[in-house]
Amino acid sequence: MEPSCCWHKEQIGPEECPFIRDANADLLLNRKNRVLQYCLECPRFMEDVRRLRKDPDSLAEILPYLMEDLQELRIRNRLLNGQVEVRNREIKFLHEVSLVLQTSMDVDEVIAMALTAVTAGEGFGLNRAILLLVDKERQNLKGHFAVGPRRREDAARIWKELEEKNHSLRELAQTFFEMKMSAEKARFQDLLEKLSVPLSRSNHLFVRTLNEQKSSHVQDLYMEPDIDPGQVEALEVHEMILVPLISRNRRIGLLMADNIINGQPITTDDLHSLETFALPVSFAIERAALYERLQEELTKLTDANRRLKEQQEIILRMEKMALVGKITSNIAHSIRNPLTIIGGFARTLIKNTPPDDSKRHYIESIIGEAKRLEEVLQEVLNYSESLHPTFDLWDVNQLITGVYVALQDDFERNGMECRLDLDSTLPPVRLDYKKMTYCLRSIINNSLEAMPRGGTLEIRTLRSDDELLILLSDSGPGMGPETIKGITSPFFSTKDIGSGLGLSLCARILEGHGAGFTIRSTEGRGSTFQISLKLSMEEEQHGPLAGSGR
Amino acid sequence: MARLLVVDDEREIRRLYADELEDQGYEVETAGTGAEAAQLLENREFDLVVLDIQMRGESGLQILQNIIQERKEMPVILCTAFGSYKEDFSSWLADAYVVKSSDLTELKQEIRRLLEKRK
Repeated sequence: MEPSCCWHKEQIGPEECPFIRDANADLLLNRKNRVLQYCLECPRFMEDVRRLRKDPDSLAEILPYLMEDLQELRIRNRLLNGQVEVRNREIKFLHEVSLVLQTSMDVDEVIAMALTAVTAGEGFGLNRAILLLVDKERQNLKGHFAVGPRRREDAARIWKELEEKNHSLRELAQTFFEMKMSAEKARFQDLLEKLSVPLSRSNHLFVRTLNEQKSSHVQDLYMEPDIDPGQVEALEVHEMILVPLISRNRRIGLLMADNIINGQPITTDDLHSLETFALPVSFAIERAALYERLQEELTKLTDANRRLKEQQEIILRMEKMALVGKITSNIAHSIRNPLTIIGGFARTLIKNTPPDDSKRHYIESIIGEAKRLEEVLQEVLNYSESLHPTFDLWDVNQLITGVYVALQDDFERNGMECRLDLDSTLPPVRLDYKKMTYCLRSIINNSLEAMPRGGTLEIRTLRSDDELLILLSDSGPGMGPETIKGITSPFFSTKDIGSGLGLSLCARILEGHGAGFTIRSTEGRGSTFQISLKLSMEEEQHGPLAGSGR
Repeated sequence: MARLLVVDDEREIRRLYADELEDQGYEVETAGTGAEAAQLLENREFDLVVLDIQMRGESGLQILQNIIQERKEMPVILCTAFGSYKEDFSSWLADAYVVKSSDLTELKQEIRRLLEKRK
């Protein structure tokens, strides 16, 4: 049989095969490759095969079997290649995402990356992603963040924007984090608020999914009984997947995704991919949150340390000043007495000296010079007192801690347990620290004496509107109204020991400070002493972090 | 005639005060220590005490506390060599403070004021 085409030739010319182009001209010289690539699909070759099959001895009869099988294998091969390519892209994408997740210590950045990854075409390509986070303090699963178009009009705009910019995933997340995060949060605020659920509602779809640590694929939210109708309405979508975020068995949150805009069905593959993705996201969120807390604690500690140092310096300076003051005072005291005597007797003397007595001039001179010396002395003393003013801006907590430390032996001796509960955010208050210290000691002493067989004393500081409150509560026997009334008037005491002057003096000191002093007590139930100090504008400006005293 | 007690550890000061106050028409007794003062107070009635805040070996404030504890109505004037009375709040219990000076005008005024107040 004469072949109708060129398939039997080892080499052919370019005019012999209509399929071979210049680009693969090497096939003209390679028969094997030429046959496999072109001849098998060439109608003239097929015609020759048909003709050959008429010859009963020809092997050509089995050729169609082989060709058919080859075609099938080729198709499957192409399919697999396609899948491999997709998986490759996915791995590359996951690698890129996980790099960001691993290196970021910022919760918001992690979240921006994760949600961008879920919604980016390059990533999972879902339309919208919503993140709920566990708020441990409020025992709430709280709507935290969402990414994606809110409405169809939004979608067109956002997708067009993305297409034009052609950013990599990392760039996308970065831009999003830096420029749009807060705006996006505000955009979804109402939805996020509606989606929050108390963790106690264990039957609720969200909480249940989180607690069971198993993702769920809801085909129709409108038919789902365990979700609030208001939430379904807000979500405006039928199909949705929910993936719990768990890190070392701790519940971090819930990742939800849907195709709200294009309505494309969500595949099992989508769900599986998202599940795989949820793991690093959970870790990253938890780690970043921990890091943030660590940073906060570190800042607090650094700050406390700085304040401590400042205080130490102040104390050191004050100690030095106090020493200077003490020396000056001692000198003054030893000069003052003789001066008083000299000047005093001179004055006595002059009274009995007649006006025309020649000694009078000398006595007047003694009186005048003694007076001058006294004035100099007074100046020196005033100066040494001004070196360490006691009326200044002071940190009330520090004052209390100081008193507490000084009285620790007494607490132990009396078997009294003293607890401090101090609000560290209080601003400093203008007061006389020595007088205030005296007041606190008086009140504590009163409690100590009222509880000879031990008990508890709790000292609290807190802020209430424009007042700073110091509350001292003891577990003593308490007092009746008459006793309370009397206790703040001078010389009153129900105690056998102690003068009973302490609290009346306290009331006077606090009155001088323009501070309130109230005692609440029930017999048999202990007493609470409350000191309320007014905060002024000046103190507000200092803020909680300002140092005390200067 | 009002009877005053002057407590000061400095003999010449006691003499000066006694001379000057007697000159004003008061009956004056003096004590150099807290113990002496306590003894005098126990044996006789006084209308007012003039007390030095800083004395050798003991604190005027302690004496003040003892006096007040037992005789709540009796006025006490604290004499100080300097402003340090502010440092101890027990001193706040005194009825008046006078800075020690060779010029006794202020002391005399305070004595007059307190005695008149008592009447």
